[in-house]
Amino acid sequence: MIWIEGQLVSEGPGEVYGERMIQGYRIWDPKRSKLSALFHHGVELELQFGQRVLYLGAANGTTVSHVADYTEVVYAVEIAPRPMQDLLVVAESRRNIIPILADARRPEIYRPLVEEVDLIYQDIASPWQTAILLQNMEFLKEGGTAVLMLKPRSIDVARDPDELFLEAERELGQGGLEVSSKVRLSPYYPDHCAFICRKSQRESGRRSSEERMDRK
Amino acid sequence: MTPWSHHTTMESYWFGDREGPVCHPFAGDPMLCAGRIERLAEDVNAHMPDWRIAVRCGVVRDRSEYLERLRDISFALARRNLGRALLNPSSGLVQMVRMLDLLDEVINLLTERAMEWHHATRPGFSRKRAPPGGRGRIELIREDADDDLAGLLDEIDRLKDRRSILMKQVSRKAGDALPNCSALAGGLVAARLAAEAGGIRELAAMPAATIQVLGAKTALFSHLSAGTPPPKHGIIYQHGRVHGSRRENRGRVARTLSAKLAIAARIDYYRNSIDKEFLKRAEESVRKAGRGA
Repeated sequence: MIWIEGQLVSEGPGEVYGERMIQGYRIWDPKRSKLSALFHHGVELELQFGQRVLYLGAANGTTVSHVADYTEVVYAVEIAPRPMQDLLVVAESRRNIIPILADARRPEIYRPLVEEVDLIYQDIASPWQTAILLQNMEFLKEGGTAVLMLKPRSIDVARDPDELFLEAERELGQGGLEVSSKVRLSPYYPDHCAFICRKSQRESGRRSSEERMDRK
Repeated sequence: MTPWSHHTTMESYWFGDREGPVCHPFAGDPMLCAGRIERLAEDVNAHMPDWRIAVRCGVVRDRSEYLERLRDISFALARRNLGRALLNPSSGLVQMVRMLDLLDEVINLLTERAMEWHHATRPGFSRKRAPPGGRGRIELIREDADDDLAGLLDEIDRLKDRRSILMKQVSRKAGDALPNCSALAGGLVAARLAAEAGGIRELAAMPAATIQVLGAKTALFSHLSAGTPPPKHGIIYQHGRVHGSRRENRGRVARTLSAKLAIAARIDYYRNSIDKEFLKRAEESVRKAGRGA
């Protein structure tokens, strides 16, 4: 990741959402992006060129644009038409964003479009946050990384967040994801917790047919 | 696709079909490819794509060309689906109803402020002289209004004119989008119900009991949490048969009307045409409910 004077930045065409610039780089504000907040907490996660990313809950494309600055291609899934109008404008100025208007709970809709990816980023606040990530596991390569931005309030306002965090971790484990670290996003996003997970190697996911053929 | 293709191991991708070593590239502009992707979503032979297969098929030369093509197609697909989502007749209707409600609010606020202003500049004025019903308040102060205020009064009048135009537009649009609900409850009530439900599809999916109390959120939640009496009606109270009926019959009328509206909403959403036979029977049962058991 690129840091200038203590600020996280990314390199790409600016003026996407009125972000400030520094030395020609776009400042990636941790107050406006949970992913930036996560990097500001210092985690063993790096976005690199060559990475393929499946981004669930792309919204207006603010964070998507920064992720696209770092990686090779971003498959950006968003369900709501209004933010999608903005996302299309953001994607027009970049070659490597594939916008997809679809419900992330129905991956079969975009299965014909999305290839195997290195990283899945799940930032949809819904009562089924964990399940949505697990439903999209088929796209993640073995040993790949999944990041879940968990907002316990969206699951159940009345229940204790710590309890929900534990429950999510258990569900992720059952779904073949090993939680390598948990990061609270306070002070930027109080009561959000990021789960960084690895897809276990043993878990025999759907291999691409190409690999099957190569082994023959 | 040939009928016997199901017997061989066929793999379908957005860029073509592969049967063993043979590949049939799919040629076509992004719009055609978008249609193919939609069909593939329901196809059992559909596979997760791999750019190397696309290269081997001869569809693209390299990875960057693969991504470029895929990007064009995804734009075409997203734009078309976006158009469909926004063409949905209810999205325009919902916005119109919200604008109408907001206009009412704004006109009331402005009128209220104008009255205060008038009070402050004319010591002899009293709003007690206003005609009953709260109508014509603007007319009451116009005659001897302050010069500075007079111009604003004209603007408020203009807003009122716009409001009645918008109201007619809402009724007309509701008549198109919700023909049966409009016939049963009037265009404005039908449109308000759809707006409160979040759309026509959402309204069609609602049980009658929910439609009955749509727009009575405060009363409903105070019933659920504090045990106050449940609301008998929400938006449908605005319908003449509900607020015009005797107090002891009102609950029954509201219940009957909402039951018929639930059916009407489904006819509107799935068939979108007037059902005269249904309307005749529905109106009859609402009338009966109003007469008492």
